[in-house]
Amino acid sequence: MGLVYSWIVSPVQYVDAPPYALRADFKDEYRALVAAAYLYNNDLLRAEDRLAQLKDDNPAQSLALQAQRAFEEGHPQAEVRALGILAMELAEGLTPGASSGTPTPFTPYPSAIGRITNTPIVSQPSGDPMIAASPSLTQEDTENLPGETAQPAQIFISTPGPDPAYVLEDSTLVCNPDQPQPMIQVLVQDAAGNPVPGVELLVSWENGEDYFFTGLQPELGMGFADFLMTPDVVYSLALAEGERVLTPLTAAECQPEDQNHYWGSWLLTFIQP
Amino acid sequence: MSRWTKFLLAIIVGAAAGLFYGWIVNPVEYVDIGPESLRMDYKTDFVLMVAESYQVDHNLSLAVRRIAKLGTSAPNEIVANALSYALQHDYASQDLSLLQALGEALLTWNPNLEVPTP
Repeated sequence: MGLVYSWIVSPVQYVDAPPYALRADFKDEYRALVAAAYLYNNDLLRAEDRLAQLKDDNPAQSLALQAQRAFEEGHPQAEVRALGILAMELAEGLTPGASSGTPTPFTPYPSAIGRITNTPIVSQPSGDPMIAASPSLTQEDTENLPGETAQPAQIFISTPGPDPAYVLEDSTLVCNPDQPQPMIQVLVQDAAGNPVPGVELLVSWENGEDYFFTGLQPELGMGFADFLMTPDVVYSLALAEGERVLTPLTAAECQPEDQNHYWGSWLLTFIQP
Repeated sequence: MSRWTKFLLAIIVGAAAGLFYGWIVNPVEYVDIGPESLRMDYKTDFVLMVAESYQVDHNLSLAVRRIAKLGTSAPNEIVANALSYALQHDYASQDLSLLQALGEALLTWNPNLEVPTP
């Protein structure tokens, strides 16, 4: 009789529940809403308070993971961007417009052995600001690294466009045997050298295009983003629609003397002019 | 002690033990609930977040979809309830304005004009 009453006649009704009891998909919507509201109020404390109601172990990481997931699942770009921005602000503990002047140290893939086997040669026609003025390592530097071998030069050319928000400062082929897949790794910094999150990057190739954002992997740096390349495909990269295009970008091999070949990753550093 | 007394005593002890277990030892834990079950202050904050995001995207249909998660009442009714709660609990005037602005925007919302999302 008790079961009939509590199951059929008067089943339990949840009331006055806290947000941490929400179902996982509703929690995602709650986080997305917190992030969307944050774009309006720029109140990091309020956003932290709201997220604290979900009792996530690491709210910044939860947001970053959700941003990544939302991006992969094709959620609206505005949602991905809002999640990414809040994730980064939380990770840095910064209020907008109050970023410190101390640049965050950046290491592409912290576990990387990080041997540089190639210094890309960068052309500089007619003083184009999109072109790197100086390579990251000199020939002398590379000679000092053990087991390095020379690689074919990579030439990046930018197409004409409007005054860019960012210019390519540096390009380096990062060789890491633990990361053998070819990648485009991008680091975006403001004029003071602080990483800039939420920058949209457009990558295109012959039969397609895709976009990605800086800061979706806070553990690798707030201004960091990466894209997995397919060997033998020629890519073009732009920091935003209408911006200058960096091309050609192709996967490059690392060739240590005593090991088998493996793919390196292009690390491109952009700064605000 | 009569049989009836023993019987009633057993019932009382059993009920007390059950209440102690359900209230203290292993109280109910809400899991996998929907936003409609949130406490009123959380619901109000939910609506406030919708109002804040609406100021950024000005997407009324998105705002309505979000508010609709809070229950089956009409969206403007949910916003009105949130505004009423906010007024009673001395929310900041800026928050009250946001809720009011969303409520006013919803007055112009016509679901029949919605373009179905593919």
